[in-house]
Amino acid sequence: MIIKPSREKRILYIKTALRWLFYYVLIYAEFIFMTSGTLLKPIILIPTALYIAVRNDISASAVTGAICGFLIDVSCGKLFGYNAVLLTVSCIIVSLIFEFYLRDKFVSFIFISAVVSYIQCWLDYKFYYEIWNYENHEMIFTDYTLKIWAYTVISSVFVCLLLRLINHFLMPKTHFTIEETIKAEQH
Amino acid sequence: MRDFFKSTRFKILLAFIAFLVGTMVYSVTKGGYSISGESIINTVSKPFRSISNGISMKVEGSLDKLERAEEIYDENQSLKEEIRQLQEQLTEYNSLKVECEELRMLIGIKQAHPDMTTSRFCKVMGYITNDPFKSFTINVGSADGIEPYCPVATAEGLVGITVEVSEHVTTVRTILSPDLSVAVKSKSCDDDIGIIEGSVKSASDDMTNLMHLRTDNTLKKNDLLVTDGSSGLFPKDYSVGKVKKVEMDSNGISARADVTPCVDITNLESVFVITDFIGKRGNSNDN
Repeated sequence: MIIKPSREKRILYIKTALRWLFYYVLIYAEFIFMTSGTLLKPIILIPTALYIAVRNDISASAVTGAICGFLIDVSCGKLFGYNAVLLTVSCIIVSLIFEFYLRDKFVSFIFISAVVSYIQCWLDYKFYYEIWNYENHEMIFTDYTLKIWAYTVISSVFVCLLLRLINHFLMPKTHFTIEETIKAEQH
Repeated sequence: MRDFFKSTRFKILLAFIAFLVGTMVYSVTKGGYSISGESIINTVSKPFRSISNGISMKVEGSLDKLERAEEIYDENQSLKEEIRQLQEQLTEYNSLKVECEELRMLIGIKQAHPDMTTSRFCKVMGYITNDPFKSFTINVGSADGIEPYCPVATAEGLVGITVEVSEHVTTVRTILSPDLSVAVKSKSCDDDIGIIEGSVKSASDDMTNLMHLRTDNTLKKNDLLVTDGSSGLFPKDYSVGKVKKVEMDSNGISARADVTPCVDITNLESVFVITDFIGKRGNSNDN
């Protein structure tokens, strides 16, 4: 490899900055989407925060989780910080799981996303409707909570594909495969 | 030549010319109506003439376009500019019209409820995501003099109450929510009083409930319910909803009713906040 270390570093910085810029543009766009209209919508910021946690270090994942959580609180009119705490903890756990136990596979991510979003939806139902003992509160679980959860899981597929695309172009490779090393040597 | 004048051909030609002259004279005597021969010719040639005329018009038009291309281009540009200006004027006119309508409504409300102080009309920024009770945010806040627990309404009726006020944004809880109770009475009978309170079931149909009614109430379908004003949270005699169905409550000691709100809460664009009114809780200068 005949790449100067300083140039390599510069490319790394630029790519990292661009990648995070795209992440946050996407997060902002998703927030706008969540706050518009009156129909039921997926909590699309959950899979986004989780997938960012899959491919980035714990501290960045935690901060992103917190920001996405705050945005969910604002758009869903929940106690400010409630979802932030929930999503920060989830992002840290997901980041650790993918660092030590799982590989970045599509199915693993969808599974993790389904579990985390179910926990979020279930807790939301418990704390905001069930404990207040509203009449017919079970209707909220079947007509709202489960539908929102299903939409969120479906939206995870698109979020995953979009973030994979961003990562494909802008995620710096820290390890080379044998084939890539041989190819670089030949050049 | 002499032979020609004596020939049969000459006689035939002469006869033909005579026929033509005769036809001409006959045509003159018809007084404007065409004779049958002319009609036949016109009828037979009509489609061909139409086609040929169409073709020549097109060719002429194309030639004209080519010839006047620059002139047409300039004309097009000036028309585009004119349309842009007109559209700008139309947008301005529409916004002025909306503003005028809103001000007219506010005047109407002021006349009907002279004791009320209201905010300007505020835009609904958006509904709270996935909220079954249709809470929403408006573009005014503490900087505009809004406080928590102020009634929110439109000219048609009561919508809800402010619950979370930040500097420029306020969250409104609607009358579809079970967390908001409004004391109401029938417009036609002061004795028919009850509490409007939303529920999960009724909110799914964009309706609310009237509870704790006397069993011997006189309410019937389409009766208008207005605020009672006894709680100090809402002004007196403001429209809330119309009765849809009255029935006995499951507890057996009171009646209840399904109520359709006067306002279509799911499609709000602008509302206003009632910041002060006679009888407001905590108001020292009440009459």
